[in-house]
Amino acid sequence: MGNSKDRIKFNVGGRIFETTSTTLANAGHDSFFGALFDDDWNLSPPKEDLFIDRNPDCFAVLLDLLRTGDLNVPANIPERLLHREASFYGLLHHVRTAKWGPFDGNRLRLSDSVKGIAPGDGTAVRAGPDGGCCVAHGSVVHVFDWMLEEHCPINLDYQRVNDVGWIDSDNIVLSACEKLGRGDGGMGLFSSSTGDLRYKFQVCHENQVKSYTAGALSFNQDYKIFSSCKGRSNEYGVGVWDQITGKQTDFFYESPGWSLGDADKLQWLNGMNCLLVATLFPRKDNCYISLLDFRDKNMVWSWSDIGSPMAIDEKRVRDAIAMEDSNSICVVNEFEDLGFIDLRMYGGSVRWSSRSRLMKSKMPDEPCYPKLALHEGQLFSSMNDSISVFCGPDWVLTSRLRRSYGGSICDFSIGGDRLFALHSEENVFDVWETPPSPII
Amino acid sequence: MSNQKKRNFQIEAFKHRVVVDPKYADKTWQILERAIHQIYNQDASGLSFEELYRNAYNMVLHKFGEKLYTGFIATMTGHLKEKARLIEAAQGGAFLEELNKKWNEHNKALEMIRDILMYMDRTYIESTKKPHVHPMGLSLWRDNVVHSPRIHTRLLNTLLDLVYKERTGEVIDRGLVRNVTKMFMDLGESVYQDDFEKPFLEASSEFYKVESQEFIESCDCGDYLKKAEKRLTEEIDRVGHYLDAKSEDKITSVVEREMIANHMQRLVHMENSGLVNMLLNDKYEDLGRMYSLFRRVTNGLATVRDVMTSHLREMGKQLVTDPEKSKDPVEFVQRLLDERDKYDKIISTAFGNDKTFQNASNSSFEYFINLNTRSPEFISLFVDDKLRKGLKGIADVDVEVILDKVMMLFRYLQEKDVFEKYYKQHLAKRLLSGKTVSDDAEKSLIVKLKTECGYQFTSKLEGMFTDMKTSEDTMRGFYGSHPELSEGPTLTVQILTTGSWPTQPAVPCNLPAEVSVLCEKFRSYYLGTHTGRRLSWQTNMGTADIKAVFGKGQKHELNVSTFQMCVLMLFNNSDRLSYKEIEQATEIPAPELRRCLQSLACVKGKNVIKKEPMSKDIGEDDLFVVNDKFTSKFYKVKIGTVVAQKETEPEKQETRQRVEEDRKPQIEAAIVRIMKSRKILDHNNIIAEVTKQLQPRFLANPTEIKKRIESLIERDFLERDNTDRKLYRYLA
Repeated sequence: MGNSKDRIKFNVGGRIFETTSTTLANAGHDSFFGALFDDDWNLSPPKEDLFIDRNPDCFAVLLDLLRTGDLNVPANIPERLLHREASFYGLLHHVRTAKWGPFDGNRLRLSDSVKGIAPGDGTAVRAGPDGGCCVAHGSVVHVFDWMLEEHCPINLDYQRVNDVGWIDSDNIVLSACEKLGRGDGGMGLFSSSTGDLRYKFQVCHENQVKSYTAGALSFNQDYKIFSSCKGRSNEYGVGVWDQITGKQTDFFYESPGWSLGDADKLQWLNGMNCLLVATLFPRKDNCYISLLDFRDKNMVWSWSDIGSPMAIDEKRVRDAIAMEDSNSICVVNEFEDLGFIDLRMYGGSVRWSSRSRLMKSKMPDEPCYPKLALHEGQLFSSMNDSISVFCGPDWVLTSRLRRSYGGSICDFSIGGDRLFALHSEENVFDVWETPPSPII
Repeated sequence: MSNQKKRNFQIEAFKHRVVVDPKYADKTWQILERAIHQIYNQDASGLSFEELYRNAYNMVLHKFGEKLYTGFIATMTGHLKEKARLIEAAQGGAFLEELNKKWNEHNKALEMIRDILMYMDRTYIESTKKPHVHPMGLSLWRDNVVHSPRIHTRLLNTLLDLVYKERTGEVIDRGLVRNVTKMFMDLGESVYQDDFEKPFLEASSEFYKVESQEFIESCDCGDYLKKAEKRLTEEIDRVGHYLDAKSEDKITSVVEREMIANHMQRLVHMENSGLVNMLLNDKYEDLGRMYSLFRRVTNGLATVRDVMTSHLREMGKQLVTDPEKSKDPVEFVQRLLDERDKYDKIISTAFGNDKTFQNASNSSFEYFINLNTRSPEFISLFVDDKLRKGLKGIADVDVEVILDKVMMLFRYLQEKDVFEKYYKQHLAKRLLSGKTVSDDAEKSLIVKLKTECGYQFTSKLEGMFTDMKTSEDTMRGFYGSHPELSEGPTLTVQILTTGSWPTQPAVPCNLPAEVSVLCEKFRSYYLGTHTGRRLSWQTNMGTADIKAVFGKGQKHELNVSTFQMCVLMLFNNSDRLSYKEIEQATEIPAPELRRCLQSLACVKGKNVIKKEPMSKDIGEDDLFVVNDKFTSKFYKVKIGTVVAQKETEPEKQETRQRVEEDRKPQIEAAIVRIMKSRKILDHNNIIAEVTKQLQPRFLANPTEIKKRIESLIERDFLERDNTDRKLYRYLA
């Protein structure tokens, strides 16, 4: 401190900046400044100011970022320019970290809406691990990085996309319908940055490779990929692949009178070491929810509404999510009523929450089925054009995210400390972020 | 941020590609290539980092990442090939130094090149999943230098040669070797293992195979172990100085295998210097070395332990079964104690107090101590000896030590009840004859026995002490109420509770009138204060101090037994008595009388009476007179009774029988206790449980248990199951 040798003068694009090497050390070793101060480059003592042929306005912003950890971008600097400059200095990661804070469903702000050019309804949106997302429309998936820059769209033989998911920030798995007789469709692994097809997953039945339609996807920590599969000759069930070798390692065949291959939703339960498979109305006339243990090929728990009397208000389960902490499965009906099924009892019934229809509003012209998500103890449920946030042991409604533009929300996803909501009418998705922590 | 803008970007990106000067990429690359050359030629001072970084950045930005990447690889490869040539040209010892120097240069250059190409590292390489600049630089070094055919084997041989030189006592440049092995480690674990570690371990194995063969032919076991230990520390030292820490286990296991595991049996059994020899000669240092070396190999300690156990058992067996050595019980036990001390010390100093060795030693002692059925008696005798006289002048702490050691031996005994029998007898003798040296020591031993075997084991022993105490009080009371008795002979009575003391048939005898009067007075006093009791005289256990005047008027005080007193008192009234007369007058049973007369007449220096004829044995027709010529330089003369300290054969049989008899109710009690809780049990399980329950006291004989079961069946405590004859049923 107070050491004048610590002081550094830069001439950036004609403007003089003076700072300290301590401030610049915040940039880390893997940055322009880290390399600049490598002992091998004999800089010390700098005789004159160091010239850098870059934009001085952006440098000012980035220097402040290194000084304070806060990102403040003046209106006159386009974001893309700032990102370009940050990329030159190796400070993109710093910008990303400073841009939004740790996720909290009750402090979300709408930060952006991205409009696309895809025709038709959106199928799914999936948040990536570092703030990007991908959006499935018909047979094409659009990929966006955290700067919301669109990369090459991905597709699997232009077959209808059923589900999509991020393995890591650079790899996306896409599941699609098969095409009769051509072996197209199925499941593929793509690079998120280049859109290249890296690997196509195969399914074997009795040692024969078969074409198949891949449905819902799920991943687990053991580098396994799960997907509901439908084969041509009634080979229905859930397939398992290894993320590293890409080889199929297992297949759980659907038993008669039950549904696995048509599943709408797969969810890996880490604590219970099994997979939740849910096939729901209206894909099938009845709802089937089961937990599969692949170690001994056993269906350890199941629930279905077959045979249960159809109430007048038609409480049909439209989405389900397992909550391991409370040993229950949360379900939702088309009126956004939440219901709970106890996982510790075999074949228990749904205990619908009485919270029902407090805010019964007029149904939009094109209603969307509710979707559920769970994130760090907060439960999210989408309904029409808004997303409700529930907290606490009794799941009290604490926040509602709404933006009256783009019609109903057909899907949403949380990841990389962001929430993405895809609207059905217009091809548009919203990005919700938690602002950085307050100054004090 | 909206649709409009995104489309603009795409057009922008497209534009970039066309505006670029077609020679732009080549020009920029030339700048960078020149810089790489300068860096390798250590001429980088004039380079501008900012300019180079910007150029590399622009190349990647303008989609020339591929060109930049392949260009950097090609340029670096060229430099490394040149370096390899220079290293190859180095002669002899300079080879390693040259290699090390070039490696350092390459590392520095690589660092700078990575700095320049950092943007490519972060973006182009990241998205194309190619190796990053730094690992690529290391791979290039490995492929072009380390794996170059004229360096690869030469490098390995140079290193192995240096290690060999160091092993044979030469001094080498460890720093240089460390730098080179560090290079292998930097190139990756597999490079270190394949290119250096594996061949190094093979060479080491060969080296130690030869050396251990040489040593074993020329050295004795102790020396061999010293050398092996030295080699082992040398290798560990070597790892610390210039090898990867992960190699330590591998190289030590090579040394262990070649120097110890492969020669284990031969070393242990080496004649005149092997394990047995070390044990015999207390070679703690060698034993400790053997322990610490052998514990490193599988079955090493088991081998040592087995040899030690068999030696110990063999030695112990000889010790306890040698009739010569069991002549003197005290020495016999002392020898056992010495042996135990010896092995305790060996295990604690040389074998690191290893539990398994302690167990082996304990089980060996238990094995051979019980080989001799007289061990319980001997141990009790040893204690007797110590408590009688042996402990005089020894500090309390040391007394405790000796007693603790005896307790160790006691723990090994299987027939603890036999010990108890003897101990009771010996204690009784000690107490009655007032021979105990230290009450504290006595009590301390009883406490030890109590903690070891429980309350019931010692309750009778404690009863004996209580009796001694009450007797003292009673005597004080007796003389207090009879003040007229302060003149004349003094009677000291010890009142023994029946049952607490070893039972011996009361041998009646006619006491001299002076004494019997006193006895009667005491009897009436005692029965007067304690109603409902019976008093009988155990004359065979008493002693008397009598004063005698001999021929020349010399006075002596004779310390004799009650029987001897009776005999001697007869001579107050006559000078000459025949055996028959004495027998008639005293009514002492013949064997006792014989012993008594023998001790009075036949022991040289203590023969207060003379026998006619003079012979060793007492005949029915012998005559006895007072020995007027008796002299002794002491005033007090103790005349012992001729009794064998050790039991005679018939006595032994008797004790044995008594023990067996005592065991019967104990076995029966155990059977009933077990059956009461289990109700139904088969034969084998009863035997097992009874044996287990009685183990702290003695080892029950299965045939005896069976007999007891039969007896209990007869007495309707148990019955056999009707269907399964092996099952017993408890009858409430």
